[in-house]
Order: sequence, then structure tokens, then C-alpha cells
Amino acid sequence: MQDTSPADIQKRLPFLAGLVIFFVVVLFVRLWFLQVVNGAYYYDLAENNQIRPIKIRPPRGVIYDRHGRPIVENVLTFDISLVPEDAPDLEETIRRLGALVRIDARSIRQALADAAPIRMKYEPVKIKEEVGWEDVARVEAHQDSLPGVIVEPEHRRHYPYGGLASHQLGYVGKVTQEQRKKDQTELGLLTGQGGLEKTYDALLRGASGRRMIQINSSGRKVKDLGIEDPKPGTDLYLTIDLNVQLAAEEALGTRAGAVVAMDPNTGEILALVSHPTFDPNLFPRGISPKDWNSLMNHPSHPLYNRAIQSVYPPGSTFKIVTGLAALESGIVKPDDKVTCKGFIRHGKHTFRCWKRAGHGTLSFHRGLVESCDVYFYTIGERVGFEAVANYAKNLGLGTLTGVPLMDEKAGLIPTAEWKLKRTKAPWYVGDTYISSIGQGFLQVSPIQSAQMIGAVANGGFYYTPKLLKSTRNRVTGSVKEFPPEKKARFLFNPKVLEEMRSALIGVTSEPGGTGWGSRTEFATVAGKTGTAQVVEQKDASRKYAGKLDDHAWFVAYAPAEHPQIAVAVIVEHGGHGGAAAAPVAKKVFEEYFRSAGTKTDQ
Amino acid sequence: MQEQKLTSNIPWGMIGLIAVISLIGLLGVYSATYSSRGVSSIFYKQLMWIGIGMVIMFAMLIPNYHTIGRYAYTLYWISVAMLLLVMLIGRTGMGAQRWLALGPIAFQPSELAKLAVALSLARFFSSNPRPGGYRLTDLGWPAAMVALPLVMVLKQPDLGTAMMLLITSSIIVIVAGLRVRSIIIIAIAGITLASSVFLIPPVKNTLWGSLKPYQQKRIKAFIDPASDSLGSGYHANQSRIAVGSGRVTGKGFGQGTQSQLAFLPERHTDFIFAVIAEERGLIGAGFLIMLYLALLLYGIEAAKNAKDRLGALMASGVVSLLAVYFFINIGMAVGVAPVVGVPLPLASYGGTAIITTFLSLGLLLNIHSKRFMLFY
Repeated sequence: MQDTSPADIQKRLPFLAGLVIFFVVVLFVRLWFLQVVNGAYYYDLAENNQIRPIKIRPPRGVIYDRHGRPIVENVLTFDISLVPEDAPDLEETIRRLGALVRIDARSIRQALADAAPIRMKYEPVKIKEEVGWEDVARVEAHQDSLPGVIVEPEHRRHYPYGGLASHQLGYVGKVTQEQRKKDQTELGLLTGQGGLEKTYDALLRGASGRRMIQINSSGRKVKDLGIEDPKPGTDLYLTIDLNVQLAAEEALGTRAGAVVAMDPNTGEILALVSHPTFDPNLFPRGISPKDWNSLMNHPSHPLYNRAIQSVYPPGSTFKIVTGLAALESGIVKPDDKVTCKGFIRHGKHTFRCWKRAGHGTLSFHRGLVESCDVYFYTIGERVGFEAVANYAKNLGLGTLTGVPLMDEKAGLIPTAEWKLKRTKAPWYVGDTYISSIGQGFLQVSPIQSAQMIGAVANGGFYYTPKLLKSTRNRVTGSVKEFPPEKKARFLFNPKVLEEMRSALIGVTSEPGGTGWGSRTEFATVAGKTGTAQVVEQKDASRKYAGKLDDHAWFVAYAPAEHPQIAVAVIVEHGGHGGAAAAPVAKKVFEEYFRSAGTKTDQ
Repeated sequence: MQEQKLTSNIPWGMIGLIAVISLIGLLGVYSATYSSRGVSSIFYKQLMWIGIGMVIMFAMLIPNYHTIGRYAYTLYWISVAMLLLVMLIGRTGMGAQRWLALGPIAFQPSELAKLAVALSLARFFSSNPRPGGYRLTDLGWPAAMVALPLVMVLKQPDLGTAMMLLITSSIIVIVAGLRVRSIIIIAIAGITLASSVFLIPPVKNTLWGSLKPYQQKRIKAFIDPASDSLGSGYHANQSRIAVGSGRVTGKGFGQGTQSQLAFLPERHTDFIFAVIAEERGLIGAGFLIMLYLALLLYGIEAAKNAKDRLGALMASGVVSLLAVYFFINIGMAVGVAPVVGVPLPLASYGGTAIITTFLSLGLLLNIHSKRFMLFY
């Protein structure tokens, strides 16, 4: 490195020193100007005229059904809130406010104390929510003597149909402390706490805007400085059809159970019902402990979404699976005859048919139409339950469907391996028998059953059950469609499928068929009844009289020739599937075909 | 000649100044981040960074500054590579992509780049002396050296760093020695360019349009803060109110209403000076400015006593860099510089800035302490 004397550089250092001194002088003069010459002015600004951002909450996205009918809305309400920092004499303000809006001072102090650990300075604390016009007017009129008190407009969530579809819609509640820590949501903001309100919360929520106001030393607004508009939440268009949903809710009535109706060609859910239901309107304003306890402790668990969270033995609806597995294996031919004497013996054990007198000799078609247990014991044994179990899994039973709702249950398709691990006992022929007719360890959810019958209807396509059809940004108006998501293609042997479909039509139309209750003049229905045996459980709810009745199942699609809708119904403790569940499906079909004629998809 | 003991030449006065400024800054961070939940973890992090910084500063005394000078280009390329990495995988914070995540630590390569450019210019000019001053044609390499990171930080976009790179480099070039004719040519070219930017509408519109909306707003707000007291002018306005309301004696430690009530954004980072000025008044803020002045003059003294071009140029480079930091940051707080996001050396919260500052100061100490040595 060649180096010469630094002398010439050092000659220029005074320039650098001069620059530094110039910087210091400029800053000093400016500081003097701000702090000495105008110090009093800025001091007043800081002390008395403070700028305060007031949050403007965004309206949450509206939820519509597939035809654009609103099913979740917002209602503008007013809350009276207090910003304690803005009240020079807080006690006096509390006393006056309490007298004015008829709230005792103690509960105001309590509200302030409750909010203290989680609020930031100048965040308003809600004192009285959803006040009437009189209270708003009173507070506005006495604004001068109520420093720190503000009226906050809020978009309150409203579910106009009450308990309708409440399990899929979910509900909103005040943001919890944990959520606040996690994603810095604002105090008092409503967030989805269940159902689609939670799944799509990020879309629905929107973003707050703010209004800047200048306030004076007594907390009064002296000037509006400007406004930054809130971003409203995105609107959702669901796949459900309000009419079909209403019909299904009504058909199920007061009985506990679930209905899932879907378009087998897209996976779009047309109706999803779980009863008993709850009113989501209880939640947005903060549910009372009494209401919460009665929901939580109710013996029939109204918060439970039975359509996706409850799993039941599929009963005779599973004969569809056993039948398909047996026929596809080639081991059982459709014309193979089985004679039912009302029971079958294996070793010391006797396995009965539901018809004690026996069905006589029958082949596959009549076996399914009359739902003969002995027929399915026999073919189940011949093909082996392992083959049936594999088939069931391929049909999506015992696995999560991926419906966009929380806490879906998978259910169970038992295997010998599973049983050994679980009960330390080997798989007996008896296990094959009872599993072949859908009893025993088998557990499926209503939505899985709907998907299974949907696959039979559409020829083996699997779609992820879809609840969201499209979204619409309320500001830009841009619409985003969500196309069907094809999950899998299940290849049926066409001959076997034809045999099955013809038998399913027989169930609802032939003499001796178990599904007559679903017949309707609107379309040919193909379906299968089921009755899931209820093993008495030793829990506290034993006192319920209906407890011992079996669960009634019905799975079906229509029109049989070119299916448009697939339905799964379960009525808990409803008794026989043909009598209790099939008529529910009938109502759903009728409403669907009736309104399909008048309404067009958007 | 016998080497003197290392410690005997260490400028303890300068170290004392550094310690006092760090302490004032740390107290400012404490006050700015203190909340009803108690002392913020930011305070402890800042304490930790200052501790690490001090160690690095003393470590910088060990090597010969010629060794450091030899690595100037290496440091330059490392920081260019990191800037490139930021463009590719960087983390976005506050609208600009400036951060590089290194495990749990977020690193801001633009801070390092500023120091690297200053040192590389020092290295270049010391090994390419031109008695009689540099001509414009001699400035090709240095210009390229500055332009590369400049373009990269503009892409982020980081207007503050770009501005600092330009100003600091200009000062270094002038100190390194530019012919008077060249200075005049640059000045004329600069004025012509600037006026054409402002006076010829198509040029103005293209340039103006290439800025991000928030940058446009900030520039407008700098020219006329009252025009937008809520949006972009908010920072500048609130900061001015904070500083002004401190008056002569200040509101007292922890008593600044502007700072404590969170009217002032970025108060523990870019606006730490406003917090100090509000709470300590003209007396405290003026004292702090004087401390910075003394520190910078110490640095210039190191350059003045350096025994070779490299030492003199590195010291002047570091001093120019720190001086520009100091001026733009405080200028931002008091409203004589646009709000561009430049930290106050030793005081603003931020690991990368603190470490880079101590690194620079260590270098100054090194040059200062070696001034009597003739052989290396």
C-alpha cells in the first residue's frame, strides 16, 4: 500500500470541523426557537390541545345464502363509553354518568377495573351497551358536564333467523385476552368464536379506521381533524340455500339430530342442520353466565355440531358399502341366493335378522331393498370385513372430510388390528357380522354419510364439502368465486354401480322397501334407511326417556336418474330410519325441487 | 522505536463522552418505553446491545487500523451481498424491506453498508493519492462504489440511507481533496439537475411518480407540515410539539406527556431525541448536543494527528458519517430535516445501529491511540 503524507488531508479538516459546528449551530438555533421562543405555545398544545385518535370499527362482512339472501347482518347500535384519562374528576364524572343513564357507580367502577389490565391508555371502556336514543340524546346534551364520556357507534352482529344454521354460522364474541396478545386485535372488537364466523374471521373482520379529534383540557372535542375510513369486512356468499335449510330445520323439528344436504356434483353444502340449536344472538353482547351455563350443561349439548362432530354407528346405511365391496370383489354375484330364516348361527352364537320371521330366499337386489341382515351377514363373511373396511375408507368414511368448520370428528372404521390393540381380543366372525350391517364399533358422522351417498350418486367423485361459494369485497366490489375442490376419484365398476342404484331406487319404490317415507311426486328418490343401535351408556343423562330408542338414519339422493341433491339424515333416538328419518329427507327434497324451479343460482 | 503501552494513548476523555451519551440515551429509552406494565424488555435489550457494543469498541483497539483498512473492501462486498439478500428474502417492516432475519436477531444491512462505504472510500483515496486534487475523471471508481449500494437501498425503499450515503460520500470526497474546478463543475451540474427536476414538468413527474405514496407524502409534509397534521405530518408535528413543550427545563424524567401518552410514534427509535428534549428541556437537549459536538471534534482530532493518509481518511470518514447521522436525526425531531428514519448514534434503540456505531467509534479510538507510532 503506498502511503504519502496525510498533510493535505489534514489541511482540509477545518472544513469538516466547520461543517460539524454548522450542524450544531443550526440545531441549537432551532431548539432555541422551539423551546424558548415558542415553548409556551407548544407547552399549551401538549397540555391542552391534544390530538386523540378515535377508533372507528368496521362493519363485519355480511353473510348471504347462495341466492344472496342475508342470513347474518349488522345492526348499528350505540354504546356509552368512558375514557378515564379524559376525566379530570373521574369520581364526579362517574356519579353524573351513573345518574344520567341509570347505572350505579359501583358497576361503572367495576367495568373500569375489569378493563384496566388489558387496555391501553385512552382506549375507551364500555359502560352501557346498545343504549336507546334517549340515553344517546341525554349524554350528548350533557357533554359539557361529562368529560371523558363518549358515545361509540358499533356494528352489532345480528342473526335474523335466530338458531337457524347456527352451528355452521357460528357466533362472534368479544376478543379474548389471548387473542389480543396473539394478533393485537383491539379491545371491544368482535371476533368469530365458532363456526364460519371463526373459520373466515380474517375475511369478515375488516380493519378499523380512525377519526382524529382535538380535545381540550377537559376532554371535550374542540375540532375534528380528519377521518380515515374503516375497511369493512368481506361479504361471504355461502353455498347453503336458505329455503332448503329452513325446510330441513323444520322437518327435524324439536328432535335431536342432524341433516346434511349437498350438491353431489360440486360438494357444495345446501343445508347443514344440527339440533338442538342455540341462538347466536346471545353471544355478541357478551353472553350472560346464566345463558352460558345453561348451554354448556344442557344434557343434549346444543353447542355441539352434530352434523360434523357427532359420530354414530351407520346402521343399515352401511349395507351400501358392504354390498358394493362384495359385488366389486367378484366373490359375490348379484344373483347369488341367500336364505334368511330370521337368524344365522355361528358356533354358540345366534345373530338375528331384524325380521324375526325371516325374509326367505333373496338375492342382492331384494336383500338391500328389504335390508335383510342375514343376507349382509353372509356376504360380509364371504368377502371378509377387511375388504369392506378398505372400501369404506375409500368412500371417505372414518376420515375427516375437510369441511371448513372447527373440530370435525373422524369417526372409526374398525380393523382386526385396531380391535386387538383396543380390547385385547381378536376379531371374531361375529364382529364381521355386526360390522357388515353397520353396528358394533363403526362410527361415522352425518357429513361423511352425505359424502358417501353423494359419491354413489355422482359416480365416484369426491369433493371437499364446501360452505363458501364466493366472497365480495364491499369496497372494490370484486367477487372471488371458489370452485369445487375435487379431492379424489373413486372408480366404481359400472355394472356394480348400476346394480346398487337400482336397489336404492327399490328401497323407496318397491313393495317391502324400507324407505317409502321419502317418496315424493317431485322426483325419484334413491336411498337407504338405517337404524343405529344405541348401547345404553352409564352417564348422567340416563334419565332421558328417549335414551334407549335407536338412532334413525336415512341417506338418499334425487332425482335418481340425474342426481342433484344428496342428503343424510340422522334422528337421535328416533327409532326406525324408514319411519323417522326418511320423511325428513322427503321434506328437504321437496323444498329443493320446489324452489329450484323458481330460483336461479347467482 | 519502542512501542508505547497501548493504554497510555487511549483517549479516555472520548470514552467518557461515549459512556455519558449512551447513558443519556439509555435513560431516554427507559422513559420512552416504560408503561403501566413496568420496565419494558426493550430497555434491557438496549442495555445488552450497549454492553456488547462497548466490548466490540475495545476489541477494535487491538488490531492495527491498517489491517482494518485492508478489509474495507471485504466489508463492502459483504454488506452489498447482504443488501442483495434483503431484496430477495428480507423481512418487511413499516412499509420497507430492510431487515434480514438471522435466527432470532433481525439485522439491518443498510446500517453496516454506510460504514463499509465510508471505509472503502477512505481506502481508495489513501491508496490513490493525487497531489493537486482529484479530477472528475478520477472519481469513476468511488462513484460506482457509492452508486451500487445507493441503488439497492433506494429499491428497499430506504430514502434515509440513500440520502446519508450521498451526503457522507460527498463530504469524504471533499476532505480527500477535489480540485476547485471539479467542485465548481459538480456544483453547477447539481444545481442544473435539481432545478430541471423541479422546473421541467415531465422530469419532475417521472421522478415524483417513481416515489412510493408514503414517500411523496413525507416530502410534502416536510415542506409544509401543517398541510397534513394527521397523516404523514403527524410524526413531525407531534415531535415538534414534544420538543417545544419541554421548554427550558423540561417536564422531568418520565413526565413527558407527548412521549408517555404515546402521541409520539417511534419514540424509542427515531424520535428518542424528542423524548429527551421534552423531558430534559433545552438544558438537557443542549447538553446532549454539546456532548456530540465534543465527540465529533475528538474524532477530527484523531484525523488531524493521524500519521498517514489511511488513518486520516478513515477517521474523517467515520466522523462525517456520525455527524450526518446526528444532524439528520435531531433535524428530524426538531423539523429541519425530513422524516426519513435515521437513528441517533448511541441513543436510538436498535441493535444494528448500536453495534455499527460502537464499531466506528472503536476505529476512531484506534486511530487516535496510534497517533504517536511511526512503525506498524
